[in-house]
Amino acid sequence: MPPNSDSSDDDQNPKPNPYPNPKPSSIDQPLDVIENQLASISIVQPEPESDTNGTSPSKLTKGSLNENFGGDNGNLRHGNVMEKSSSSKITERNNSGMEDMEEPSSPSSSGYAGERGSSNGSSSGRAGSGIGEVDDEIHEIVNNNSLDGVLNSHVQWLPGKRHGSEDDASISWRKRKKHFFILSHSGKPIYSRYGDEHKLAGFSATLQAIISFVENGGDRVNLIRAGKHQVVFLVKGPIYLVCISCTEEPYMSLRGQLELLYNQMILILTRSVNRCFEKNAKFDMTPLLGGTDVVFSSLIHSFSWNPATFLHAYTCLRLAYATRQSAGAILQDVADSGVLFAMLMCKHKVIGLVGAQKASLHPDDMLLLSNFVMSSESFRTSESFSPICLPRFNSMAFLYAYVHYLDGDTYLILLSTSSDAFYHLKDCRIRVENVLLKSNVLGEIQRSMVDGGMRIEDLPDDRGSRSGAVSPHLGQPGHATYSSERFDEAFLGVGGPAGLWHFIYRSIYLDQYVSSEFSSPINSRRQQKRLYRSYQKIYASMHEEGIGPHKTLFKRDDNYVLLCWVTPDFELYAVFDPLADKALAIKTCNRVCQWIKDVENEIFLLGASPFSWWTVPGNTSLPEFAEISL
Amino acid sequence: MPSRRRTLLKVIILGDSGVGKTSLMNQYVNKKFSNQYKATIGADFLTKEVQFEDRLFTLQIWDTAGQERFQSLGVAFYRGADCCVLVYDVNSMKSFENLNNWREEFLIQASPSDPENFPFVVLGNKVDIDGGNSRVVSEKKARAWCASKGNIPYFETSAKEGTNVEEAFQCIAKNALKSGEEEEIYLPDTLDVGTSSQPRTGGCEC
Repeated sequence: MPPNSDSSDDDQNPKPNPYPNPKPSSIDQPLDVIENQLASISIVQPEPESDTNGTSPSKLTKGSLNENFGGDNGNLRHGNVMEKSSSSKITERNNSGMEDMEEPSSPSSSGYAGERGSSNGSSSGRAGSGIGEVDDEIHEIVNNNSLDGVLNSHVQWLPGKRHGSEDDASISWRKRKKHFFILSHSGKPIYSRYGDEHKLAGFSATLQAIISFVENGGDRVNLIRAGKHQVVFLVKGPIYLVCISCTEEPYMSLRGQLELLYNQMILILTRSVNRCFEKNAKFDMTPLLGGTDVVFSSLIHSFSWNPATFLHAYTCLRLAYATRQSAGAILQDVADSGVLFAMLMCKHKVIGLVGAQKASLHPDDMLLLSNFVMSSESFRTSESFSPICLPRFNSMAFLYAYVHYLDGDTYLILLSTSSDAFYHLKDCRIRVENVLLKSNVLGEIQRSMVDGGMRIEDLPDDRGSRSGAVSPHLGQPGHATYSSERFDEAFLGVGGPAGLWHFIYRSIYLDQYVSSEFSSPINSRRQQKRLYRSYQKIYASMHEEGIGPHKTLFKRDDNYVLLCWVTPDFELYAVFDPLADKALAIKTCNRVCQWIKDVENEIFLLGASPFSWWTVPGNTSLPEFAEISL
Repeated sequence: MPSRRRTLLKVIILGDSGVGKTSLMNQYVNKKFSNQYKATIGADFLTKEVQFEDRLFTLQIWDTAGQERFQSLGVAFYRGADCCVLVYDVNSMKSFENLNNWREEFLIQASPSDPENFPFVVLGNKVDIDGGNSRVVSEKKARAWCASKGNIPYFETSAKEGTNVEEAFQCIAKNALKSGEEEEIYLPDTLDVGTSSQPRTGGCEC
């Protein structure tokens, strides 16, 4: 899953579609489009009565805390906090105009005087119509599906904040599918994914009030459900984090995302920032975070494509064993000279990783560090030396990171505990770079980037049997063998052997995962994201409390067959055609495990952890699995 | 995060119910007034951008409910305030007498680092009513109380007619800003993992 090569998940700037949608690949898409049009229409209704204070020059946003918000979800959604928005100026709204809405219309919409008591009629009339979500995915469909089969042909995800002029009175802001907020315990805004933090000060105060009100009663608020929306809270001392989402992601996933967002902030500032709040509750930390907007927005974007964000594991660039060994050797060499960690990465994939003696890096820290490096443009232009904190290593202390890009995507990170280490680390980098150039490791990396990782089409046959040619649709495993002609008919565009579409394999001991490349029919960004969300959901359900050491799941829904196999050693998540045959799917999963074992020294970094003796368990099969009927 | 340095100031408005806290804010932010009384439930939050001496900053105004049943909102509401505005009705002696309670309650709950010098502003509202004939708290008396509490700035306002509202909030902003500035200087002091023997302790050694 490429990090930057596709449009953003929840907030893509819609572009007019040059092509009509000739081949919708599933029936719900046109419906979505219609729904979206309906939503547009409903918002277009002019509302003259709300124009009374539209000329007010002051910029106002307002939330209101209702005394009984704790018990009544409806209040949150339909109360002042979420719902009040009206404007007569947005009649030109269309798919591409969402972010262009004028500010002056916003303040009037929450008109403090106008709506206070007298204008309930107008706002309740809108309650039913205006609350549809801005489904940017829908726009993507319009964009992408017309280009079905053309991977990543659309707009690149752009770093940084968009829609910065919005506030909580903007309809567009209210309709964003997924909001993230960071605020201080005094209610001062620190970060908002969308909109201007200062204009959202009133909203921020509302969030603080909700958290504090519940805290005052000796309790803690974790989650509020309000219709389709989930409001997830995370309190980290004086820092409050809130996610408001209607993406139907599991609570556990959203909470995990808030944890990562918090740790991303800690990576930049360390947790000793808490002391500033202890000394002075008024403390405003936004100046300390100046310019780091892109780091947060890029992390949030990765919540929609990077499995590392929920697997808590890292992934490696596929490389010949010897190549990775030679990269590892030179990294080990510099690590022995007093470098705490040496990481060689290509985009979000690891090439080599070495820690001094027994120091080990948590996969979350690797994710956050690489996100920090990749999202900050300045690292690309020159060698850099920056204080950073690894929250899972030591959240109170700064380390010093030397970062240097060796080519467009490949970068070296050297971490030291000494603030004077720049010249030493620079020397180390020169040594590493020389070795990598001489041994052509950089060339191999480039080639691997082009070649890609594991492709389901390449799944080796199971000991010569032609199980790949068995139609999964007919459900007669072992009997129906068709000629390759027939095979082509049955499998036109429906993936690999036995209808296998994709898989993710996570090694528990290695803290690593490998996921197959996207193949047909998972072509469009929308399909990839839907797949991602399915994995996320199934992962969460497999990791709910009370899970045994072995667990299997076979789930068939409208979109996929999902097959999960969780053992103490590894976890396999595989996605098949929704009509795939169960017995064949199980067989195929065993073949995938065998395949991973066969190529483990190319796809994993072995020997990076104390568990270097680890290999894929030899006897890979799902014996008990075939008997379970779900 | 704002690219340009902006300051956000948290301003809390306190006072008995019905003295006109919400109306004052409404007049200030929206230039609107309604005779209709709507009790604030819990608290309302507004923001207003203000220019002061070439600096742009944002007032985050916390309009609280005056009724006693909402006082349980407590410490969280007052935490980290940059300025506290105490409002009374010049036509109600009780609301004036209660200023003392409001002020003390605030200092207890917010526990600011320097309570002696925490910026308060007192507003005597509703001076327009009955042409001032129904007034029971004299300006002199109010000013005397303000002086006794460390020279709290005092304004006589009418939310209905907009009298002195802008001036009062300018003063509130100025005082809030002043109290904030002393604190803005410091950076978080961060630990250095330091000696080379130490760094492994944080790592997972399993």
